[in-house]
Amino acid sequence: MFAIRTSRRRPVSAAAAVIALGLTAGLLSGCSSPSDANAGGDSATKGSINWWGWTPEIGVGKQYIAAFNKVYPNIKVTYKQVATASYDAAIRPALASSVGPDVFNIAPGGGIGSIQAYQGSAVDLTPVVSKALGSNWKSKVAAIGPAGLTTTSGKLAALSVGSTFAGSVWINPTMFAKYNLTPPKTFSEWVSVCKAFAAKGATCFEQGAGDNGFNQDLLHAIADSIKPGVWTKAVAGKVKWTDPTLVKAMTVFKSMFGDGIIQKGAVGVQQYPDVNNDFLAGKTAMVMMGTWYMQYSTKAGATAAVSAAGVANAKPFPMVSIPFPDVTGAGNPAPLFGDADYGLAVNNKSKHQKAAETFVTWLGTNEAAQQVVANSLNDISALTSVSPKFDAITLVDSSQQRSTLQALISSASKISEPRLGDVGTALGQAIGVAVSSVAAGNATPTAALTTLQSASKG
Amino acid sequence: MSSTKGRSAARRRSFLRPAGYAWIFPTLIFCVGLLYYSVGYTGYISTLDWNGSAPNPTSVGSANYARAFTDPVFWLAIQHTVISFVVTFTISTVLGFVFAALLHSRPFFGGVYKVVLFVPVVLAPAIMAPVFRQIFANGGQFNWLLTHIGLGGLAQPWLAQSGTALGVILAITIWGGTGVTFILYFAAMGQIDPELLEAAELDGAGNIRRLVSIIWPNVRGTTVALATLSAIGALKTFDIPYLVTTGGPNFATEFLGTLIYRTSIPLGAVGYGAALSILLLVIALIMAIVMNAGRAKREGRADA
Amino acid sequence: MLDSRRRSSRIILQIVLTLLVIPFLLPLVAMIQGSLAGQGWGNYIAVLSVPELPLFFRNSAIIAAATILIVYVLTMVAAFGFAKLHIKGKSFYFWLLIAALTLPEVVLLTPLFATMTSLNLYNTYWAVILPLSALQLPFTVLLARNFMEGIPDELIEAARIDGANTVRGFWYIVLPLTRPIAAAIIVFTLLGAWNDYLLPLVFLVDPSTQTITQLPQFFVGEFSNDQTKVLASAVITALPEVIAYLCLQRLFERGLSAGALK
Repeated sequence: MFAIRTSRRRPVSAAAAVIALGLTAGLLSGCSSPSDANAGGDSATKGSINWWGWTPEIGVGKQYIAAFNKVYPNIKVTYKQVATASYDAAIRPALASSVGPDVFNIAPGGGIGSIQAYQGSAVDLTPVVSKALGSNWKSKVAAIGPAGLTTTSGKLAALSVGSTFAGSVWINPTMFAKYNLTPPKTFSEWVSVCKAFAAKGATCFEQGAGDNGFNQDLLHAIADSIKPGVWTKAVAGKVKWTDPTLVKAMTVFKSMFGDGIIQKGAVGVQQYPDVNNDFLAGKTAMVMMGTWYMQYSTKAGATAAVSAAGVANAKPFPMVSIPFPDVTGAGNPAPLFGDADYGLAVNNKSKHQKAAETFVTWLGTNEAAQQVVANSLNDISALTSVSPKFDAITLVDSSQQRSTLQALISSASKISEPRLGDVGTALGQAIGVAVSSVAAGNATPTAALTTLQSASKG
Repeated sequence: MSSTKGRSAARRRSFLRPAGYAWIFPTLIFCVGLLYYSVGYTGYISTLDWNGSAPNPTSVGSANYARAFTDPVFWLAIQHTVISFVVTFTISTVLGFVFAALLHSRPFFGGVYKVVLFVPVVLAPAIMAPVFRQIFANGGQFNWLLTHIGLGGLAQPWLAQSGTALGVILAITIWGGTGVTFILYFAAMGQIDPELLEAAELDGAGNIRRLVSIIWPNVRGTTVALATLSAIGALKTFDIPYLVTTGGPNFATEFLGTLIYRTSIPLGAVGYGAALSILLLVIALIMAIVMNAGRAKREGRADA
Repeated sequence: MLDSRRRSSRIILQIVLTLLVIPFLLPLVAMIQGSLAGQGWGNYIAVLSVPELPLFFRNSAIIAAATILIVYVLTMVAAFGFAKLHIKGKSFYFWLLIAALTLPEVVLLTPLFATMTSLNLYNTYWAVILPLSALQLPFTVLLARNFMEGIPDELIEAARIDGANTVRGFWYIVLPLTRPIAAAIIVFTLLGAWNDYLLPLVFLVDPSTQTITQLPQFFVGEFSNDQTKVLASAVITALPEVIAYLCLQRLFERGLSAGALK
């Protein structure tokens, strides 16, 4: 006969029993009904609201909320940071439900959290903003904010908290000083500086060419350097993508890869976290980043960032921005373009709409709130009357950095040229295809632009 | 393995078998109930031109499917998917099989090896992607290794070239998938009758002989299951190519999974994305059926 | 399995094993190095100091336990039916099940969302547990069915001759023999449930119900990415899974049916 021992089944059923018990206990405790905070009505000074966004970071978000609670202690705000890459996947069903967030981020243009996709869920904020700042509110905030966050029908879908600008180049002056080099102002200077760095075994300029967004920034800057405003016209369809100026821009873009300015293998590298970390760790002397890099000018910010980049015993260095080199010698002012980094929108299905509006208006128009935003040096404040109080900020090296920062901020606040705000999703992807095919060497500039032109029509 | 008796015996057996409907229906109802609405929904929106949230989608019938067939990126994605399936299935099956056999033979520190094989399966691709980008970068560890073992001539920017990027993606996929084949083969080998192996040993069969003639045929069920799962997995491949190279450079690592994601979420062309998903489902089913077609005949079942 | 009685064979075996495993080890080493860069062990301390960490662990554990329970029970029952019992049109039902495996998760989000809200389960753990289970089942049923087919029919028939009905045959004979594949199924289901990112993100709104996959979020911003801590959190998240695997190790090894026929 066969000897089947039946004792073996005990561990299996024992395990099942344990799991079942644990499960019941856990579910009973964890399955409590969702935040049924205040069933009472919708008040402008009391309530519990949820805020979802891909930015700011959790720490910064908590900072804003703490400052908010000093003025409105009875409104509880819970911030949930959703990873940039998952924001769209998560917010769509949430907004379609009746338990979605009360406040959520919207961005200009056709990228993540695009106004195109979500403006239908947003409340028109014009009434509350006019109430807060007066009927001439538009003159009190940086124009770039509402420009990107207002729908074609005139609805202010979200209120900008601050804006970011691209087109600048950031350098590590310590590396330049080490090899006795000066930051380049023209294309030929750029090539020779990069040769010098390469001879010493250092990376000169690192670009995450695997990232279409940052490639677009680079191309945009080159185009505007040749002929200011030509990019915006091309995006709007007023100028063909195959226009000689743009062909020239794309050719310059391509030659940056061939002439040794952009590092070898750039197409396999992404701006975040690869290039970001390399710059902070002192491995590359130049990167093309925008005004959001200002946050690393502070001693605390720089030290934390360098440490996060993987450097033990992190020591900060005084990074500064330089204007984009005049790559064709056209003599035009250095390009700068940007939009609202993000805007806060109020969910039109929210049960605490008034409280949500209070929070949104406060963060976007209140001087104290905007001062917090400005001082963190991440975004440039939406309120034009506010600028960072440098006396309260510890920079790594004030002598090198302060004046450049002030100049950057004041010139940026005057800019109205959009960066992403006018580029719809489909066009953005088509531009991405064009730049990456040129960067990877799969297409000539003219061919890539011709494809882009026909794609932008379709 | 179950007996390979003749047809009549099988028929006789089937009359003696109790009915199993009650056993499979809970699972079927659960899965079908929960997921088939999704399948049906996806099928429905594949006939629309929609962005996922606008109130009035327009119906376009089979236009999305026609678009797929004329889309060069679609065919490129299919090509990469097929290559991925063939390469990763072959290599990770062979590796998993060899590891399972080796680790069943009581080596020293067996537990350590098992953990090393298992951990890659556990780690989220989202976390490992930047690590791999760094390893295969021009100045990264892989090129460093090549230079130090004398193959410096091969050092190149692996991820930046259309030709080699796919290879790297496949390597990473194998790295993350061999643990699965290993675990399954390990479990299957436990079922092999030790007497078979002892008999072979007495006959003087060496290790290779044993592997090929005894162990391999006896884990055939696992191999077929893995083939089915690999095929479906290859079709759904998304994480690694999207996170490491975003389908680039220039669609060199575009897969059906990344194409569907890109179309549905950032581009918001949900209708087209749904059509691609349905195509994926159909291809997956066909492949699975083809791969298991031999089963019914082999088992001689009357009710297969 | 392979000849390991002579010393020379053992050494060769060990060498081959080690050489083959090196390519798998190297990226892990790179990852650990990355997690120790910057602040070194401070990264791990920073991750462990996230106040919500125990909460995340608990939530993930609840979801994983429930999913494993549902998947294990349904899988064994269904696999037994497919492998050993008479069902007309068996193949058809089986392919019906497999088809459910093929849709990418991202495509399932919106319809699943509609299903969950109509069942009034949105923002509860069930909204995550049920889809996770349903997505695992085709895979586990496939594996378990294959394994059960390897169990000789004679064993069950002998039990029937002894007077046991189908259920008893299943419980007393088949189930104990499926240890190895049960261990595999539990491990894979644990992985699937513990590592799932999208479903908890979309279906769990309350901050108190977030899972461990949200942990890296604390160190990633729009324009910043603390790789060192993200990697440290990956190691910490992976630990329970590795420990579970090691604990279930013994179960993988017992090839019981091998000697059962005697």
